[in-house]
Amino acid sequence: MMQMSLLSESQSRLEKWQLAAVAGLVLLGALFVYSATMSGEAALTMAWYDQSWFRQLVWYGLGAVAGAALCLVDYRGLARWSMVGYWLMMLLLAAVLIPGVGSMRFGARRWIDLGFFQFQPSEFAKLAFLLAQAHFLSRPADELRQPRIFWQSLGLTALPFLLILRQPDLGSALVLVPAGFAMLYAAGAPRRLLLRMFAAGGVLAVLFLADVLFAPPSWQFRLEDYQTRRLKVFFDIPYTPASPNATKAERERLRRQQLDDSYNVRQALISVGSGGLTGKGWRQGTQNALGYLPRAVAHNDFIFSVIAEEEGFLGSVVVLALYGTVLFTGIRIAGQARDRLGRLLAAGVLALLFSQIFINLGMNIRLMPVTGVPLPLLSYGGSSVLVSLMAIGLLQNIYFHRKSY
Amino acid sequence: MLVFDPLRKDDPRLRFLALVMLAGLGILLAGLWWVQIVSARDYQAKIETQSFRTVRIPAVRGQIRDRNGMVLAENRPTYNLCLYLEELRGAFDRACTPKLTAARAELKHRAEARRAQLGRRLNRQERREFYLGAAQKNALRRDARWEVVSNVVAGLSQRLQKPLPLSRPVFERHYDTRLVLPFPVLANLDPLDVARFEEQALDPVGVDLEIQSTRFYPFQTTAAHVLGYLRRDDSSVEGEEAFFSYRLPDFRGLVGTEFGFDRELRGVAGAKSVLVNSIGYRHTENVWSPAEPGRNVVLTLDLALQQAAERALASAGAGARGAAVVLEVHSGDILAMASSPTLNPNHSIQGFPPGEWDRRMNPKLRPLINRATQENYAPGSIFKMLVGLAALEAGLDPHETIQNPGYIYIGRRQIRDTAPPGAYDFRRAMKLSSNTYFITNGLRAGVENLIRLGQRLHLGERAGLPTRQETAGIFPDYHRVSANWTAGDTANLCIGQGALAVTPLQMAVMTAALANGGNVLWPRLVDRIEPADSAPEAPARIFPSGQVRDRLGVRPQSLAVMREALLADVEDPDGTGRRAAVEGLRICGKTGTAQVTDERNRLVDHTTWFASFAPYEKPKYAVVVMVESGGSGGGACAPLAKLIYTAILDRERQAKAPALAGMGRP
Repeated sequence: MMQMSLLSESQSRLEKWQLAAVAGLVLLGALFVYSATMSGEAALTMAWYDQSWFRQLVWYGLGAVAGAALCLVDYRGLARWSMVGYWLMMLLLAAVLIPGVGSMRFGARRWIDLGFFQFQPSEFAKLAFLLAQAHFLSRPADELRQPRIFWQSLGLTALPFLLILRQPDLGSALVLVPAGFAMLYAAGAPRRLLLRMFAAGGVLAVLFLADVLFAPPSWQFRLEDYQTRRLKVFFDIPYTPASPNATKAERERLRRQQLDDSYNVRQALISVGSGGLTGKGWRQGTQNALGYLPRAVAHNDFIFSVIAEEEGFLGSVVVLALYGTVLFTGIRIAGQARDRLGRLLAAGVLALLFSQIFINLGMNIRLMPVTGVPLPLLSYGGSSVLVSLMAIGLLQNIYFHRKSY
Repeated sequence: MLVFDPLRKDDPRLRFLALVMLAGLGILLAGLWWVQIVSARDYQAKIETQSFRTVRIPAVRGQIRDRNGMVLAENRPTYNLCLYLEELRGAFDRACTPKLTAARAELKHRAEARRAQLGRRLNRQERREFYLGAAQKNALRRDARWEVVSNVVAGLSQRLQKPLPLSRPVFERHYDTRLVLPFPVLANLDPLDVARFEEQALDPVGVDLEIQSTRFYPFQTTAAHVLGYLRRDDSSVEGEEAFFSYRLPDFRGLVGTEFGFDRELRGVAGAKSVLVNSIGYRHTENVWSPAEPGRNVVLTLDLALQQAAERALASAGAGARGAAVVLEVHSGDILAMASSPTLNPNHSIQGFPPGEWDRRMNPKLRPLINRATQENYAPGSIFKMLVGLAALEAGLDPHETIQNPGYIYIGRRQIRDTAPPGAYDFRRAMKLSSNTYFITNGLRAGVENLIRLGQRLHLGERAGLPTRQETAGIFPDYHRVSANWTAGDTANLCIGQGALAVTPLQMAVMTAALANGGNVLWPRLVDRIEPADSAPEAPARIFPSGQVRDRLGVRPQSLAVMREALLADVEDPDGTGRRAAVEGLRICGKTGTAQVTDERNRLVDHTTWFASFAPYEKPKYAVVVMVESGGSGGGACAPLAKLIYTAILDRERQAKAPALAGMGRP
């Protein structure tokens, strides 16, 4: 019966504008992953099915199937199993930290190697977290006034946050926070409590930053070395030697290292800025082709730099407009949801997407420090693409089931 | 607004979330606008500085030709064997991978050993010691590159069947600082090498011949001083782009015509930009201003005469120091200007053979100077031409005789006369070069008359040759002779000694003035500057000939008497210049032997001269020969002049032959 209705009434029951925007983003993603990876000779000699753009297309396909599959099951049905999914994901997040299970890449333990696929549990944990949080908060708003419920909800956010932070993957961990708060806020948690949390969080963040950036080494909060450096690069604070009587060579080495560390940011800015109004044309960007924008990141975390360089400000506006469409149609979906669960789930998905977009685009133009947050739907990467399309599937699910029949 | 419609009524919290997202997108939009629109220019400039390298391409230098179009300085392609490093990148990587793997395995092995030793797992700090650091990786990459390059060069060495020198520091320096440019393995391949390289169809990867245009002087030492020579100088000239990342070898004229017309000869250097990737390898090239070849300079020299003059000087002995000038008496064209010892301008490009540098720097030989224009010499007796003319103008009767006792007293100083004692009229005094006669008559005419004539000949002044090889000489002016000037000084002047010094070119101009009826000409070395071969329709710049600088202002009779006497010097059997006589050409000449004294006035050397013109009936050529440390003008210089006149006769005969008539100046 439900299958039938999907087939017969799909025209009216899917959010078409959002799907169109998603299709546009997918198209851009495929085009610019192609542009970003097909510059080196090595890429050209690879078999077509090994090339990044084709793999990305495959992931888009798989993501579309997964998203559609999510549409088929009523989100309320999904929510019922959400706690099981949540704890399963927490287990995986814990497992990935164990050497031998999680595989190291670039100095972080984020992946589970499945042979054909580097599975990144933190991406899927985001979805599980959203479902669980929405399910938990979908209780009547009055209950949320109880501090116990409030703190439990915060705990639900804090657990994956800390596990992901431990990998370490600051960016993925951080995007959970706005999503969690947005859901609490949308659920109608007391403004007073939220404001207090917000203020406390703000003060803590400032203290944390001040400690990391300015405190003498022995007083510092333990952070990964590269994380401190990224923050220093972002705030443009010169590296200082550990001891005050460091040699000239040591200072020079630090200066050079700072230059190296800020290299990505600098090159991304040059890419974006040199695009100008209209850009250099598809596959005409030099920053990526000549390797100034490091090849390792050009097609994933810094894909936007490639788009902005090749298509200019106009291309950037198109990307923003497409994301805007996805987000604001999403808000409408949240508003039209049949119940609190749907509304909260939609708000969470949107907050998550929005934080990723803001952090990723922000780091391309130096509004944000560099954190490994992929750009939803555009960045190369199986986990990210799958999860983004599944998130869209969830939104469509809520829209699809907005009325009970 | 469409988006907010369903929310406006009852859901302020969702509306707030929507507002936050809208604000967020707005911030991103503003940021993008700032970076991509407002600051776009800055970032575009940054992209240029980091990924473009500019290279200066020197232009092909113009030719220098003689008056008949014979090429005296040209350019030849030279072949350099070069490695194009960007094409070897794959090989570098392939050579590096096993090294890195081996190094990692080695470190892993050591870490295992350490672990076994400690009996526990290593903590993070300890493990760090066994990571492959960036410095080690770089060192391995360097080794791999060196391996690949030395293998390629060894292969080439086999192919060319000759050892190819390759030094690691040189290669490393090239890699670090000039990666954009090809790495030269062997410069200046000889034709055999080129053939050996080309005969095998399959070119090794990354190796190619680079063709470079190099200055070449096909006649080697011929006209070396007039042509001048070049020095390596890649810098930008005025009006040219001042900043280049790299400059290809270029040369600039240091002296001679190469210097004087350097601007015209060198053309306009071009520029290309090379797009480099983040490691500095060449990616693509774009020539944005092609080099414009230089213009050709046509000299007034006549190659045959120039070679004859040089042969004549060379016949005086291996280390002969001297100069010879052949001037056309009506046009002032310098047909030949030779200086000995000479040098080979090719050495400045190709490098000096062993011993050559020492020879160049030899303080006695001094091959670098152009003795025809660059050195002061006492004229000795050839100056009697001017003295005689002044005396004739002052009213001397050429038939009046003077008794020569073999010496003459000026005050208490005795000046010996090399001419035998006896009675001398003008003709005899000239041909036997009697000091007594010319001192007596010079003193009678008065020093002012000598000075006037000398000034009209512009002695003590430069002739403005473009060669940066000119000395003005020395000649007293009226002011100098008005005070502290004795009769002895005038007497010295009358025999071409004392307070004057001349160059062979100045003497040639003086001789030409006697020959052509009193016109003191500007000597002319450059006939015209032709447009570059690439733009033949452009107008040539022509330097007019026969420019009169001054007139002697003497009566024709005086000149006739003078010519008669000079003819006798060569044609009479007792004339001092009789050894210059050539059958079929009537030559007027005067010999000279000037004393060279050191600062304590002791005689150390002689400068010998022969100044002449021909033919007597219708003068056309002035020939001046000067030899340092010769025995006498008649003995050392007149025979050299004879060789030159013989060559002149040959040339005239050839010019008359109809087949070769077209070779003359257009």
